[in-house]
Amino acid sequence: MSLLEIRGLSVEFPAGENAVKAVSNVSFEVEEGETFGLIGESGSGKSVIGLALLRLLPESAVISGEVIFQGQNLFSLKPSELRNIRGKKISLMPQNPAGALNPVLKNGLQIEEVFEERRVDKKEGMKRSLKLMKKLFLTDPEKLCTLYPHQLSGGMRQRLIACMSLSFEPELLIADEPTKGLDPEAKAGAVDLFTKIKKEYGKTMLLITHDLDLALEVCDRIAVMYAGEIVELNEASKVLNTPVHPYTKGLISAQPRNGLVPLRGQSPSRIKLPEGCFFNERCRCSGIECSKKHPEIKKHKGGWVRCHFQSLQ
Amino acid sequence: MSFPVLTVNELAMKFGTSEVFKNISFSVARGETLGLFGKSGSGKTTIGRCIVGLEKPTGGKILVHGEDILSMGKKEFRKLRPKIQMIFQHPETSLDPRMKAFENLIEPLKIHSGLKQDSLLKRGEELAELTGLRPEHLVRYPGHLSGGEIQRIVLARIMALSPDFIVADEPTSMLDVSVQAQILRLMQKLQRETGVSYLLISHNLEVLRKVCHRIAYLENGTITSIENINRGIKT
Repeated sequence: MSLLEIRGLSVEFPAGENAVKAVSNVSFEVEEGETFGLIGESGSGKSVIGLALLRLLPESAVISGEVIFQGQNLFSLKPSELRNIRGKKISLMPQNPAGALNPVLKNGLQIEEVFEERRVDKKEGMKRSLKLMKKLFLTDPEKLCTLYPHQLSGGMRQRLIACMSLSFEPELLIADEPTKGLDPEAKAGAVDLFTKIKKEYGKTMLLITHDLDLALEVCDRIAVMYAGEIVELNEASKVLNTPVHPYTKGLISAQPRNGLVPLRGQSPSRIKLPEGCFFNERCRCSGIECSKKHPEIKKHKGGWVRCHFQSLQ
Repeated sequence: MSFPVLTVNELAMKFGTSEVFKNISFSVARGETLGLFGKSGSGKTTIGRCIVGLEKPTGGKILVHGEDILSMGKKEFRKLRPKIQMIFQHPETSLDPRMKAFENLIEPLKIHSGLKQDSLLKRGEELAELTGLRPEHLVRYPGHLSGGEIQRIVLARIMALSPDFIVADEPTSMLDVSVQAQILRLMQKLQRETGVSYLLISHNLEVLRKVCHRIAYLENGTITSIENINRGIKT
């Protein structure tokens, strides 16, 4: 049985008289011990999925579908039941480590807070944390606890957040854009960090990123998202080395090393989505069918692809 | 005699007793993109901020069209200021969150151009078109726009003043790969059309190699080398 199963997840945000369709009918499973990547451009709905499955979205969000974690539907749990899962069984490493830490509290105090909230002995908790910090490449963690977040580099803040997220050894770790804005050295450090978490702790991870290199290095399988839906899903190496969907191909060509070729146009309005394929207007190989009929996701070479493209048939 | 658009000579900066950089010298020709590469904390951004007058260096000269901006009076520098612009790293903090995108876009025109309302709106629309903004973007507040859309508005705002030189400080580090390519290609298009010069600050060498004519490497507070990428432009 999968550790996490997302079935037909849709999320809409009201915008005046209209609704913004952030996520449309997304389904995937994450196996135990697997690192599953969600990639795609900003606004494709990746982070919304991460927040939706922990029910951290604003109350105004209209959510449908099911999120089954260890056999339980997270959407039908009471708030008190959900509190036992958040941070303990499922942890979230939020986007922007600088914004995730309180700027006026020293780092040590913020680590203690995690244990205080869970009514665990602070001293015992700190001992555990310091051990974990050393394992996750943070040298001199005792000194680090006496500093404020602004005194740490981006990479160090990220490791600190990783330590806090792993405090209760969660079954599932959701990491949202962990390399955004980091320099190459810190990015390389992030790859080491996630490889270590994966190997030594055997953690199941949902990695939300637009960093294709990190995804290839760390993920077992990848789902590519566009305009709120999955357009391609397969093993990481297959998706990134032999992509099938024209959008995935476009993402790869946009990398500087592959020519810095931008995808033409912009993603569609999420208030009024096109009738046919959402990628149709930007696609270099679209046909008549693409503008009329929305493609279903179909099995293709061991994975899944949502495209009418002739070569798939 | 024609001067380079920008010449930086023996620039030095100290914060208290700590030396950030020293002996920084380079020049940028019209229509050229000079990359400035270095690790986080190496002083790249501070050099950029000195050039646009947001920091005062502790030594050296900054010449724009041959005139030393550090020895200029406030009035004189204010006249030159529209010609040297800066794109900041964090798109989300670059615009006034209480003003809609179009108001943000035309604000520099209101301050510097002296255009009447009709011409001002027309020029604003032209700039929006030039930078690939759609009418629906222009009526939104910055909080409702993506990072790529905000960087387009920032570029439109900057181009409103027909600058000669733009310091672009990590303009795409917070953007995803496809939007990064769109913004960098847009900057190249604007350069071809207007002859604007860029100092492109980045820690991504792949990006710099793809779009710059030359790259200056900043290490331990000094420029260790300047590499010619040979993209067929004068250096």
